[in-house]
Amino acid sequence: MTPTMSALKVGAVDAGLLTITQLQKSFGERTLLNIVDFQLNSGNIYALTGDNGAGKSTLLRILAGLEPADVLRGNFESQSMNGADYTQALRREIVYVHQHPYLFNTSIAANIEYGLKMRGMDSQTRQSLAQEAIRWAGLRHVADVAPKRLSGGEKQKVALARAKVLNPRLLLVDEPTANLDRAARQQIVALLRQTASSNNCVVVACHDREIIDLPGVARLHLEAGKISV
Amino acid sequence: MNLTTATVEAFRLLFAFDPQLWGVIWVSLRVSLLALLIAAPLAIVLGFLLATVPFRGRRAAVIVLQSFLSFPTVVVGLVLYVLLARSGPLGSLGLLYTQEAMILGQAVIAFPVLAAFTLAAVQGADRIVRETALSLGASRSRAAFTTLFEVRFAVMAGLFNGFGRVISEVGCAMMVGGNIAGLTRNIPTAISLETAKGEFAQGIALGFVLIMLALGINASLNYFQGEGGMK
Repeated sequence: MTPTMSALKVGAVDAGLLTITQLQKSFGERTLLNIVDFQLNSGNIYALTGDNGAGKSTLLRILAGLEPADVLRGNFESQSMNGADYTQALRREIVYVHQHPYLFNTSIAANIEYGLKMRGMDSQTRQSLAQEAIRWAGLRHVADVAPKRLSGGEKQKVALARAKVLNPRLLLVDEPTANLDRAARQQIVALLRQTASSNNCVVVACHDREIIDLPGVARLHLEAGKISV
Repeated sequence: MNLTTATVEAFRLLFAFDPQLWGVIWVSLRVSLLALLIAAPLAIVLGFLLATVPFRGRRAAVIVLQSFLSFPTVVVGLVLYVLLARSGPLGSLGLLYTQEAMILGQAVIAFPVLAAFTLAAVQGADRIVRETALSLGASRSRAAFTTLFEVRFAVMAGLFNGFGRVISEVGCAMMVGGNIAGLTRNIPTAISLETAKGEFAQGIALGFVLIMLALGINASLNYFQGEGGMK
């Protein structure tokens, strides 16, 4: 079955955003990923599940251009995706949030502004958007704290704010609630729901029932290198 | 002259701003800082490339670089002497027994220290730094710059260490500088000479300056590394 599914609709758009016709990745003799005919649609949130070592992170990293695939054929909107070249244009549209996000050793605002700066945005607009993102993530009380002194949950919120402010068409989030307490998990889940819009797609690799069981969230299950719905 | 008298005399010379003594200190600071300024850009780039760009023979290059860390400064001086001597291949430049020759020698000595510190700092930086920058839309070169900026305190430690090594080295400065009063006499060569002459006061005063410099360097390094530039 082609894993094109109806997921949580945000604005009820169901346009094909990312289409993978073939994706293969092996480590030595072991084939980790062997995916064919896989599609993600705008306006949806997907929960990507699978056992530890199933390849969830590897799949997200390949889609984010951080790891090469052995074979990659597909399209992101009208842009071709192939293993040889991950264009800067793709990088601007697809943002990946690590399981343990790294925050630059500057300030929270500067962290949030980083991607905007890379897009050539002027300083005043950047600062304004960063302050808005800080409020959105509920980080005003720690806005002046050095990033290295934040808790795991706060770091995750900064990472989500840093990604959201860029309005990526595809947001890939790797195990955002792992190792967080219940209150922090709930806050992150709430932020993830707010991140989705009719114009983008969010894929969350997770084991967390609080995300998987959210009403309308589609589940993508990765097993033996293949994705099933 | 006993030690107490020599020490009192040393401080008198120091705080009376004895021109001869402060001239020696000025030569030391000028030569060492210029040597660092020359060596730092290339050394930091080399250290970064060795840490990030895979190529055949990288391991051997790292071993060679690290070996240069323990290279005796007098050997560096000897090689430079042979090159800069009137009969040597660079003799026509007329650099021997000048501050420029000392700067060149100290740049050669500081180079592996700076490159090795940068290499270790960048290798120690998690791969996630570069990936985060790339994922947020940075180009490859910008991501590389971000990584270097993130390890800036470790690179700064390399600069302080390099300065400590060159300001206190005596072998190379003596060989290519010639310890000429008012021209190429720096703190270590002056200490060596004054002690040989039995003029302990100047030696102690200059030694005190070196110790203060070492304390200042370490205090600055500790401050920057401890705070990471943030409150």
